[in-house]
Amino acid sequence: MSLDTLLVVASGGLVLGAIYALMASGLAVVWTTLGIFNFAHGAFIALGAYLGWQLSHAEASGLGLLAGALGAVAAMFVIGVCFHYALVRPFERKANIVAASVITTLAGAAIIENGISLVWGPRSKQMPRLAEGDVALGPVVLSASDLVLLVTVAAILAGLGWFLGATRTGRSMRAVAQNREAAELMGLDVPRLYAVSFGLSAAMAGLAGLFVGSIRFMTPTMGADPLMKALIVVILGGVARFTSPIYAALIVGMVEAYSSYFLGLYWTPAVLFALMIAVLVLKPSGLFTSHQRTL
Amino acid sequence: MRYDPPFHRSNGLVPALIALAALILFPLVFEASYLRHLMILAFVFAVVAASWDLSLGYGGLFNFAHVALFAVGIYSYGILAKTLGLNPWLAILLAGPIAMLFAAAVALPVLRLDGIFVILVTLAFSQLLFQIVISQSDITGGTSGMVTLPALSLGGYRFTKDGRIGYYYAALVLLVLAIAFLWRVTRSRFGRGIVAMRDAKYYAISRGAPEGGTRLVTLCASALFTGIAGGFYGSYVRVASPDIFGLGPLTLILSMLLVGGAGTIWGPVLAAFVVTALSEAMADLGFWREILMALLIIVVMVFYPGGLWALVQEAREAAAVALAGLRARRRRAAQKAAREARMGAPERMVETRHGLIAVAAAGPDEGAADGPPILLIHGNSACKEAFLHQFAAFRARRQVIAFDLPGHGVSENGDPEKSYNIPAYADVAEDVLAALGAKGPFVLGWSLGGYVALELTARDPAAYAGLAITGASPLNVVPEDFARGYDASSHVVLAGRQFFTPAERSRFAGSATAPLSEASAFMHANIDRTDGRARFYMLTKLSVVDWPRQMRMLREGTIPFAVLNGSNDPFLNHGYIAGLNYGAIWTGAPRDIEDGKHAPFFNRPEAFNEVFHAFMADASRARA
Repeated sequence: MSLDTLLVVASGGLVLGAIYALMASGLAVVWTTLGIFNFAHGAFIALGAYLGWQLSHAEASGLGLLAGALGAVAAMFVIGVCFHYALVRPFERKANIVAASVITTLAGAAIIENGISLVWGPRSKQMPRLAEGDVALGPVVLSASDLVLLVTVAAILAGLGWFLGATRTGRSMRAVAQNREAAELMGLDVPRLYAVSFGLSAAMAGLAGLFVGSIRFMTPTMGADPLMKALIVVILGGVARFTSPIYAALIVGMVEAYSSYFLGLYWTPAVLFALMIAVLVLKPSGLFTSHQRTL
Repeated sequence: MRYDPPFHRSNGLVPALIALAALILFPLVFEASYLRHLMILAFVFAVVAASWDLSLGYGGLFNFAHVALFAVGIYSYGILAKTLGLNPWLAILLAGPIAMLFAAAVALPVLRLDGIFVILVTLAFSQLLFQIVISQSDITGGTSGMVTLPALSLGGYRFTKDGRIGYYYAALVLLVLAIAFLWRVTRSRFGRGIVAMRDAKYYAISRGAPEGGTRLVTLCASALFTGIAGGFYGSYVRVASPDIFGLGPLTLILSMLLVGGAGTIWGPVLAAFVVTALSEAMADLGFWREILMALLIIVVMVFYPGGLWALVQEAREAAAVALAGLRARRRRAAQKAAREARMGAPERMVETRHGLIAVAAAGPDEGAADGPPILLIHGNSACKEAFLHQFAAFRARRQVIAFDLPGHGVSENGDPEKSYNIPAYADVAEDVLAALGAKGPFVLGWSLGGYVALELTARDPAAYAGLAITGASPLNVVPEDFARGYDASSHVVLAGRQFFTPAERSRFAGSATAPLSEASAFMHANIDRTDGRARFYMLTKLSVVDWPRQMRMLREGTIPFAVLNGSNDPFLNHGYIAGLNYGAIWTGAPRDIEDGKHAPFFNRPEAFNEVFHAFMADASRARA
């Protein structure tokens, strides 16, 4: 086994990790601010991919990749906000919000997935690749598409970090995540911030969907597998800071890439889930949680 | 979501037995094998959903690996019965303990987790099982699953024959056993521990309920019949497919649980039938079916979180309320008829300044009366029917009127501050007279009613033909004269007491009217109906009465006046009454009814009516 092989596997893991990081960050935004787990996140991924395809693909609207991506992300933000008002808002401040939102987001996911089948049909589709050609970085040869993906994800995550750390809205969201009552007393419009969090999360899921659609085939249930991976990532990393799911995503991407290579495709999820259960039993708040929860 | 409607009138056994009988008869009526197929599926899902209710609804544990436990049952049936060639019945039974083992494995990581983490771990656990199942394709058949599992048969009779009637009854037995098991568990001491752990965890722990142990046993108990149902399901559809691990089956069974109402057992069972039927009815709609089912779940969760079972309970409550209303209406009508029969007079409600007042009035035809009307005012905690003998004696010749004071008899309760005092009662009497158009009546007041009569006539003595009081001492200075006018006895204390003990009640009734007998039973019953505040407020508001005005009227003799007390009245101080200064009292002194008690008109009606009639005749002659 050569170093080159390990590096190629690592580059594959890096790409996976980047996508997982994007999804897990979106999931973590909702989890930390609203305290609920959004089971429709996987459906958001699928919907974002299909919307992107619809807007950008030559067979449909044909607006081009960039316009399609921007349109899909904007549409996903709006859909996320609507989703919040329809499915989560009614249970706010109720004791059973966790269970109730689990079932309503599951139902919402069912609506989206079957709606996609209704609109676009069950035949699988594929996004165009983000870029053509290969780029050699030292001994590793990355496809230009992967490189674009990595750069975009890095930029988006950096942008998210800037948004949460430096803008007034982002800081308000973190404040609500830390202490809802105090944030309300300070005059923050908590319901609006919840809606923004949900919209932001959905927009990030939509973008992740575009990337997933460019490396795999698109089906209405394409989000289920990434959702499970994002779930593992969020649990492994914890949600103490917005960076912790990112590290965890890279670890999960690497573990997945290497275990697929060495143990075989079927064993990979089992390894990941076993890892996740072990972490949950030993350290339920995640691996990277020396700090208090601050998003 | 936690809706625990109480069983007010039954423990639900009778409705459950009726439903069971209907289910037993169902396949005999509907022979279509497809209908039976749907019912079998509903039975199995009902078992799974109701078992899930034990951990999710009662325990508040969001065990999302529950459907995976069902899948464990299916696969263990497949492996035991097909691969290992075990007897299918034994394999089904073993599927339960195997699922319990897996439940224990789920429980271990979640023993100390809370809320959302429980959801995530259990979901991850079921995904882990799923991955193991599809990776071990030589044992489990991988992604294509296991097919042609052995079917059930008993003594050579194959259960698939005769339109699956064997499977139908086997599934029904399974459902009954599962419900009985869950019922026993939730009603046991341990079951209360499960609920306590959900509702007040730290209190339950401090009372000695082990948190980890409770969770472990809860999950295992909910797995038992889930696994057996899985085994049965495997023997019925004869396929073990990894699809059962997906979000679809999870959503389906969770929707049964939540649409039915979590924490009720019966709710999920009911919803299993409803959801199965609904989803079958929409089978032709394709993707729309899933969308509509999802919308149904959302609508129920948002607008009716109690679920179907809450609906059933509310319908039941509404029916009980309607039935009670019907019974009350019939009872009221019957009692009104009884009162009217007793008085021989129709009863009507009159609107007054102090609410609706029940009035009984009887008399000869218009113009046939040979004297002024008679107004009868009853005493404390009594009712207008106390005067039934006066109605019988005088109704042929004069108009006789009696009414229930506010808070007494069938009159409305009044506002305690405004309506429960002597001037207010006099207002009511004025309003009653005005409503009946009765002018210049004789007024007979008994006890409290005596004071009402004094107050009423003192307002305008010329407007009344005469005044008679019985069982009452006219007072000048209150409360000092109270002590003089009455013998010191517990009666005075009881007269102003809001609540009576049963002993006080019968003592008060016995001395105020007559000892309990068939004839006086209705007077005794009236004490309970009387608004206790009427006693309390009347006595504490004695000082609002213009007492000297009454005495002035008696001194000046501006109205024909008679005192008709019982000679044996246990309360009155006859000496005080005789010593008062009366301007013009009938026969020159108070007239005692021989052997009369506090209510001489009731105990000695003939003697009383004779004297009263004589007084009215003399008074009318004097006025003329």
